[in-house]
Amino acid sequence: MLWLHLHFPHLLLDHIRRSGENMAALVIVNGSGQKVIQACPAARGLGVSAGMQLKTAISLVPELGIVRANPQQEARILEDQARWLYQHAAHIVLVPPDGLLAEIGSLQRLYGGLPAVWRTVEDALHERQLTAWPGIGHTPLAARLIARNGTGACTSDKAHILQALGKMPLLAAEFDERTCTRLQRLGLNTLGEVFSLPPAEMARRLSPETLAYIQKIQGSRPDPRAPWQPPHHFRQQADFVQEIEQSQGLLFPLHRMLSELEKDLCWRQQDTDCLLLLLRHRHAEPTRLRIRTSGPEHRAEAFLSLISLRLEQQPLQAPVVSLRLVVKRFLGREAPGGQDLLGENQDLNEAWHTLMSRLQARLGDNALRQLAPRADHRPERAWSASEVRRTNRTTTNNQLPRRPLWLLQGPQPLTETPKAWFTGPERISGGWWDGQRVHRDYYIAQLNSGQLAWVFRDVRDGWFIHGWFG
Amino acid sequence: MSELLDTLMQDARVWQGHRHNKTTQLAELTGYQALDNQLGGLGWPRGALSECLLDTPGIGELTLLVPLMQRLSRAGKTVFWLNPPHTPYAPALAREDIDLNQVIMIHTEGKDDFLWTLENCLRSPVTGLVIAWPGRLAAREIRRLQLAAEAGSNVCVLFRERRYAEQNSPAALRLQLEPDNQQSLKVHVVKRRGSWPGQRCSLALAHRAGLLHHETPRIVQGPWPAIAR
Repeated sequence: MLWLHLHFPHLLLDHIRRSGENMAALVIVNGSGQKVIQACPAARGLGVSAGMQLKTAISLVPELGIVRANPQQEARILEDQARWLYQHAAHIVLVPPDGLLAEIGSLQRLYGGLPAVWRTVEDALHERQLTAWPGIGHTPLAARLIARNGTGACTSDKAHILQALGKMPLLAAEFDERTCTRLQRLGLNTLGEVFSLPPAEMARRLSPETLAYIQKIQGSRPDPRAPWQPPHHFRQQADFVQEIEQSQGLLFPLHRMLSELEKDLCWRQQDTDCLLLLLRHRHAEPTRLRIRTSGPEHRAEAFLSLISLRLEQQPLQAPVVSLRLVVKRFLGREAPGGQDLLGENQDLNEAWHTLMSRLQARLGDNALRQLAPRADHRPERAWSASEVRRTNRTTTNNQLPRRPLWLLQGPQPLTETPKAWFTGPERISGGWWDGQRVHRDYYIAQLNSGQLAWVFRDVRDGWFIHGWFG
Repeated sequence: MSELLDTLMQDARVWQGHRHNKTTQLAELTGYQALDNQLGGLGWPRGALSECLLDTPGIGELTLLVPLMQRLSRAGKTVFWLNPPHTPYAPALAREDIDLNQVIMIHTEGKDDFLWTLENCLRSPVTGLVIAWPGRLAAREIRRLQLAAEAGSNVCVLFRERRYAEQNSPAALRLQLEPDNQQSLKVHVVKRRGSWPGQRCSLALAHRAGLLHHETPRIVQGPWPAIAR
């Protein structure tokens, strides 16, 4: 087995920098907010370095962007990286807080050799604007040590790996502090010298745990790692150093997130029809936006145009600190139909869904209605309006009685004597079963203005117009 | 230069008083022979606006569109009703053999949403017919709609009040509708692109209420005192 370890020296920094367009100098400070732990190249260029007191850094660069490290956030970001790596490798292990381990021995034939694997991963890292130090080792721990020292080389030669490990100073070998001191007191300086100690001696004079650690590096003791499983939903988050006040400013990070979503959906061979956007504010309750498309969709630009429509309609309540995109509902992708070889037949089904989604995003879900007759004798209940859906219900129309094309929202009093009376009366009496009692005699009559009306007389002898024969 | 002029002269959209150019515009038959004849055998223009100007509902204005709605909805094209003043009554539409799966009713608030929606519907390839009740429209807004209608080749019928007949409009077809005797509909062509306006015809639409047009009005008499309230 061969392992690739990716060490992200400043993951949080990369994550934040790629959510913004042009970033000023930025540092990450530790939990207590005293010390700089990561500094971006711009900040380093101005003299800020990791390990510096925050006060010193601020006096060097007054307009410094400051983000406090948050372990939960880091864990989440690391998992995001595992998600894209999963497209390239199957067996992935998360090594919190800043490492990913992938088994690549089995991938060599797929990609055509170790250099090709290496290049694929480097390209993927570059595309996502991430800094990572790769390291290859024959055991997980060997790969990790090599990666963290930044001495990774593209080789599967065990002797070469052991030689690289052997040259490693003890301080870099991640022993606990007590063991490290004891080893140094023994006069050992490199990991290679520790390797050459007899195992029994080491267990007796140091500790069995130290021996186990050494053997796990060397590969003479098994070091099983449980593989990471990708979750069954999509989640991406962008965090902003400077709060975003205009919804336009959200489109840039959204564009990146949606293209990630598109890739994810392509990779899953699935579509979705519901996106959830969560906009966090500093002092207010988070805003939840549910973006619905009327049909399965996977294209980033389609989602982006729907979201920008929605944001136009609904201005931001407060400046946004972070933006999260969640997709939980996945739909199987249908084989694209209707498109012939020359692309002459437009896919009307898709065009229909696009149009409906656009209209719903701007006008709201309730603005669009589809009509259907309903089995009821009372005219105002003999129809229904429902949400728009692409269906092929077949309605039987041969038994429907003669009705006007216009129905008034409610009956209007008849204020004149009609010029002429036609058919009628048609008695409609019903509704005793649900309390909405109707007892009317309907006539068709022509008013003096020439309009053909559907009028009725109710139980109390009142005359009303209920519809127009339009 | 003269070449350019020649091309312009060939174009049916350039109106030449002395000559009736055979227009090449796309159109959908209205389904009423008498009206089609008045419209040069074409019918409702596609890719352009049509206006129906009338004062009151209930004179047969929807029945005028029923054959078109039937045909388009059966062909799988969507029919949009935008801001109708009353409820289009589903049982009546179904009885007229209109596929209700293809009928979508949209209500918008505000002029901006209305124009935006209408434009989007007009540009989409799924649309067959858009019927809209716009209310007041500035000439600039009608122009905007006309451009959207040209982008997609759909039929768009705007129902407006008769007082707008005086106002000029870029619509390709303008019909003034009035009730006639025996429940007929009197159609007066106010404007027609590529031809002379002024044609008049009367369509017998008594069948919309199930009446035969030779049927004399039957006076239903009765002691209904409450009618004069």
